[in-house]
Amino acid sequence: MATEQARIRVRPGYRPDVLSMIGLTLVGVVALWLVVNFIKEPADFYNLFLIGMTNGAVYGLVAIGYSLVYGILELINFAHGDVFMLGGMLVATLTTSWALESKSGGTLWLFILLMLLIAMAFCATINTTIELLAYRRLRNAPRLAPLITAIGMSFILQNIGLVWKGARPTSVPDILPHGTVFTLGGIPYTWNRFIVILFTVPVLTALVWLVQRTRHGKAMRATAQDREAAAMMGISVNRTISFTFFIAGCLAGAAALLYALYITNIRYTEGFRVGLIAFTAAVLGGIGNLPGAVLGGLVIGFVESFNNGLGWHAPGSDWTQSIIFGILILILVFRPEGLLGERTPEGA
Amino acid sequence: MDIRDAFRRYRPGFERETTRRAKRAAIAGLPAFLILAVTGSMGLALIIATIVFIALYVPAWDSLPLGHWIVTLSVILLAVLYPFYYPNLFELPIFGAFPSVDTGVTMLIYIMMALGLNIVVGYAGLLDLGYVAFYAMGAYTAAWFASQHFSNVTFHLGGVGSFGEKSSVPGIHMTIWLVLVFAGIFTALVGIIIGFPTLRLRGDYLAIVTLGFGEIMPQIANNGDNLLGYNVTNGPQGINPIDPPGFGNTLHNAVGLPSDYLSSPTSTRLFYWTALVLVLFTVFCSMRLRDSRLGRAWIAIREDETAAAAMGVPLMRTKTWAYAAGAFFGGIAGAYYASFKSGTFPGDFYFNISVFILCMVILGGMGNIWGVILGGAFLSYLNQEGLANIGAWMNANGVSDAVFGHDIDVPLYTSGIFGVILVLTMLFRPEGLIPSSRRKAEFREGVSDEPLYDVQH
Amino acid sequence: MADLLTAEGVRKEFGGLIAVNDVDFVIPERSIVSLIGPNGAGKTTFFNMLTGVYKPTAGTIVFDGHNVTGKPPHAITERGIGRTFQNIRLFQNMTALENTLVGMHSRLKGGILQSVLRTPGLRREEEGARKKAHELLEFSGLRGRDDEFARNLAYGDQRRLEVARALATEPKLLLLDEPTAGMNPQETADFTAFVSKLRAEQELTVLLIEHDMRVVMEISERVTVLDYGEKIAEGTPQEVQRDERVIEAYLGTAAVT
Repeated sequence: MATEQARIRVRPGYRPDVLSMIGLTLVGVVALWLVVNFIKEPADFYNLFLIGMTNGAVYGLVAIGYSLVYGILELINFAHGDVFMLGGMLVATLTTSWALESKSGGTLWLFILLMLLIAMAFCATINTTIELLAYRRLRNAPRLAPLITAIGMSFILQNIGLVWKGARPTSVPDILPHGTVFTLGGIPYTWNRFIVILFTVPVLTALVWLVQRTRHGKAMRATAQDREAAAMMGISVNRTISFTFFIAGCLAGAAALLYALYITNIRYTEGFRVGLIAFTAAVLGGIGNLPGAVLGGLVIGFVESFNNGLGWHAPGSDWTQSIIFGILILILVFRPEGLLGERTPEGA
Repeated sequence: MDIRDAFRRYRPGFERETTRRAKRAAIAGLPAFLILAVTGSMGLALIIATIVFIALYVPAWDSLPLGHWIVTLSVILLAVLYPFYYPNLFELPIFGAFPSVDTGVTMLIYIMMALGLNIVVGYAGLLDLGYVAFYAMGAYTAAWFASQHFSNVTFHLGGVGSFGEKSSVPGIHMTIWLVLVFAGIFTALVGIIIGFPTLRLRGDYLAIVTLGFGEIMPQIANNGDNLLGYNVTNGPQGINPIDPPGFGNTLHNAVGLPSDYLSSPTSTRLFYWTALVLVLFTVFCSMRLRDSRLGRAWIAIREDETAAAAMGVPLMRTKTWAYAAGAFFGGIAGAYYASFKSGTFPGDFYFNISVFILCMVILGGMGNIWGVILGGAFLSYLNQEGLANIGAWMNANGVSDAVFGHDIDVPLYTSGIFGVILVLTMLFRPEGLIPSSRRKAEFREGVSDEPLYDVQH
Repeated sequence: MADLLTAEGVRKEFGGLIAVNDVDFVIPERSIVSLIGPNGAGKTTFFNMLTGVYKPTAGTIVFDGHNVTGKPPHAITERGIGRTFQNIRLFQNMTALENTLVGMHSRLKGGILQSVLRTPGLRREEEGARKKAHELLEFSGLRGRDDEFARNLAYGDQRRLEVARALATEPKLLLLDEPTAGMNPQETADFTAFVSKLRAEQELTVLLIEHDMRVVMEISERVTVLDYGEKIAEGTPQEVQRDERVIEAYLGTAAVT
């Protein structure tokens, strides 16, 4: 047999020109709009930038959960956003029943840390249970089946939220400090917002370390690429998938804590809203790509906040949902691999 | 020659058939009969006994000439005559009274939408989570062409209702029958437009994007009072009143047809029968589509997209036809409902409705017309009256106290109950309660799921 | 004899891997041509480009005077290329007759409105289609199997059904991807005879991917050999059999020396 290896030549990615022209024009228009708004009302701009960044970080954390699960199962876990919502409700309950408004300083932070752990454990348990009960059996069913089951699960969780806290928004006591961390263009960035970034960065780093450096992470990546091959290598597919759901749940729990304490209220429909935003973010960044999910989250956070707040020719908060969906549709049609994803080459 | 020989001629293996049916009847009928007899609803118990008797002792209908029409015709007859015998019906255990004719209209409209969605999900296998968008489209089409919304124009074309007859009333008032056709066609066009970027996506992305459109539509409706300066949808207040159906004065004077449904003493019945006709129309079209060249193409796409394309089936076009057909019926249903309710508001349209209709298709039996009708009837009844009745029964009879310790509000759990239905159905009987045999095989044996979009590049 | 299909400089790259490397290929009308080569040589990838499942990275494919490079599969089928698949891709939960009817999709005209109204024209078309499908099944050796579900057919019959379904597309060029894989010698001989019958009675041109050399030798008029995505030999079966590069590709350098 000839011992020649197949010649591997590197070719730069080739994309149809018209599409990228249109894409670039669109981005250019948006950039222009931002610049004009910035010049007109810089204070507003800075403020909205900071809000967008903070919200975006939360969205990013939830988006990672979607990305992780989709990467390994090719399943959109509709229920993920609602797990997040339930975590938020738990945080609301704990904050009130532990009377955290009356605490401060070291004790306060201790309690917040405790709540973080509880919320993460809570959401992780729910997520893993859902996988065990509902998705595991359907792993080899036609793709429609687990998707529909996920929708059903989402409904069930929403109902639980509705019954738990009622139809109206539950307010969470505002326990985070409001001192200024730094100012940007005269706008103060307060601690309660900074906490979100403070939590997100280490969580993200820990996650990347987990996925890249640990055995578990390697198992996750292997299972995501080729489930059968991974099984043949001795990886317990079931355990790896459960682990993935566990991690995704932990992330949702962390996001829930941050969201509840920062936004200071939570409603049973928030899971659906945030879930769709987070999924869009995950797709925007490149489904399966974890830093991409955070990037996507930030972008959507900015889009939302600029759209809601900017004064010059902004469509306004009435149109935010539609714009976000518009982004989702555009990405899926024109660049389905997202911003950071790669067109995966199919084997010959 | 005794009667059993006659039956044996019609259906060889009659005895085997009878034993099988006897077993089935016993399993289903006996416990039902006992429960009902014990709880005192003799009326229902007798009906079940009759059904069991018929199943046991009458041969397979299909082999009799025109036999397979008997069940269909008797159901249609029962449905048509419902407003007449409904007041005299006995009460069901737990569920209470049978649904009113008014609820019946809503049920029929939901059945129609379920049948429309069945074409998309059941026949072509495309998971559409945004069906509510078509319903909304149809409703607003009716609002535009049969109300005073466009009051700067005055255009009458057979429009009825106390508003339309006087030619000085502003707005576009077309006869509802034309409006239904318009709504169907217009919604189908919107479906084609939406389908163009969407239908090339793989299954899960398709689902999310259709969900997206299902969310965008109500947002447009809500903000539509100022779209580029035009008041298209009248914003959150919605558009009302909308003209009711009717046949106009000429036909009324000539043939006695009601000129205007609302001014007739039996208006609810009229709405009901018209809805029934619409449902029958949808069933008819569904059956014809299913057994056509297009229907075969849909099954082929469901089974193996790549092979279907290699056999000359144009994927995008075929999927778009399914989507457009589903949109067509959804639009008609929406338009008719808007006319029935005499108004349409953005608040009427939300994501849960799409899932609700999906639930009907899935529970009933994807791809099976009877299944979808039964699923639609049952679930829409639950949503309208059933859950409330169950709740009332549980609270009145101490069941709530026994299980929960206090009275419970069952309708509060509607979304959860539907979620449980979806999950349980997918886990244990994904082909639905009354499956098409093909679908059952697909779920058990599996299909070649890889979309061509992923393969091709 | 005119060339039915001309492929020039056809290349397929997946990322950095070159699966098919600037292959020129010609199929004369009414001939039976075989494409052979070791596993992974790029034969099925080449097939997939001819039928539109893959878009060529470079090169042109001209079929029956029309440029079909990069066109979608259904358009190519409409032009007249039909195919079977290496691992059988029948519609498992449809009957043999229904499978064949799907093959006729591009040759029938019944639209959505006609289907709902069931016009006499449509009814005639459907009846004609069913009759033709039935005949095709008989021709392919599946007499009496019309209403059997595809998944219940024996392996050899499934292969035949694939051919029947491909024939239903009324092709001018029939592509058979390893049609005798998994067949015993008797089935293989039957199938070879069937392919000859096809070409004779249906005025078809046939392109075959095959591993079974007996089939290749027996019915091919011309053989093309691919290895690592490149054409390494072409000619009559006898010529190719003796070609050094071909022997080396299949058996290794040692076999040549």
